Amino acid sequence: MEDVLTETVPAEDLKKFEKAYHEQLYKQDVTPKAQFEYAWCLVRSKYPADIKKGIFLLQELYRSHEEGQRDYLYYLAIGNARIKEYSKALSYVRSFLNIEPGNSQVIALESTIKKKMEKEGLVGMAVAGGFVLALGALVGLGMAIASKK
Amino acid sequence: MDDDILTTLKILIIGESGVGKSSLLLRFTEDNFDPEQTLTIGVDFKTKRLAIEGNTVKLAIWDTAGQERFRTLTPSYYRDAQGAILVYDVCNYSTFSKLETWLSELETYSTKRNIIKMIVANKIDMDNREVSREEGMHFAKKHKTLFIEASAKTKDGVQSAFEELVQKIIQTPDLWENYGPGSNFHLGNKEHPAQSNCSGYCNLA
Ligand SMILES: Nc1nc2c(ncn2[C@@H]2O[C@H](COP(=O)(O)OP(=O)(O)O)[C@@H](O)[C@H]2O)c(=O)[nH]1
Ligand SMILES: [Mg+2]
Repeated sequence: MEDVLTETVPAEDLKKFEKAYHEQLYKQDVTPKAQFEYAWCLVRSKYPADIKKGIFLLQELYRSHEEGQRDYLYYLAIGNARIKEYSKALSYVRSFLNIEPGNSQVIALESTIKKKMEKEGLVGMAVAGGFVLALGALVGLGMAIASKK
Repeated sequence: MDDDILTTLKILIIGESGVGKSSLLLRFTEDNFDPEQTLTIGVDFKTKRLAIEGNTVKLAIWDTAGQERFRTLTPSYYRDAQGAILVYDVCNYSTFSKLETWLSELETYSTKRNIIKMIVANKIDMDNREVSREEGMHFAKKHKTLFIEASAKTKDGVQSAFEELVQKIIQTPDLWENYGPGSNFHLGNKEHPAQSNCSGYCNLA
């Protein structure tokens, strides 16, 4: 059964919001709304390269657009969990819960992530593997920038 | 584990922000109520098993935010849903007026032609009502949907809302049996009219 970490975006939606984003990019006038919609599609893609690009766009939004920060943190956690960057995903969950403790949607996401890690035999490795995962994320970021061109 | 599950059903909850969608879901799945229910981000998800007429079905429930900034993308979650719960707040007339828009969006984006719809008139525990029961029922009748009045706060109608919706879906095998015309995979049995595939559930219809 699908859940927030496995459901995928319909291809036509990804295409539609990609087009809208690129039209604005071309005019050098990207609105947070268009960037968020495109990123929201990307992090729900079945392709890790798309997800990484989505994460990059969300990080950019997180820095530049204060109003939507809780949305960006939530989808940053989802995107990272989907590409198995679990320690990063959980750190976004923690940042969210620092701002808004007791948010049940985010607490549920945390337990979905932990269940997925358990299934993959990763519990307890999250801390030890943090360094390797962070290194992987840097490489991922580089790729996202490269694929943006 | 999942052996005794008849089927898994995908259910949507849609409607304006603040009408109580997340609260109805929390009441149904965890029998709880939070007066300070936080705003849903994008689309939330919960599962619940429901026993109905001797069958157990698993519900995968997608709770949408309803806020303007998420509106353009929520329809991408409508795909393959067998049931939709449309919620309005009886103390806020504009949330009732907007139902028309929600219904037409459902019409446009749902992939199952005969998706079952349940309209839930929520917050009937409050005393500043703006939409009467008759008006709600009349609207539901006009649009051929199920209808119930409810309160996530007092539990009134919440269980029934989900049960009646699921019951109606079960009675519509086209919606959930793999080989039904409403689904997109045919296991090479194209020649079989859907009717001939009736197993024990047809007598429910
Ligand atoms: N009195 C009362 N308040 C409710 C009821 N359902 C929801 N609420 C409150 O209405 C507000 C919005 O509810 P929420 O579930 O977040 O609405 P959503 O945006 O549609 O998900 C919250 O403060 C809830 O506690 C109800 O049946 N009765
Ligand atoms: Mg909500």
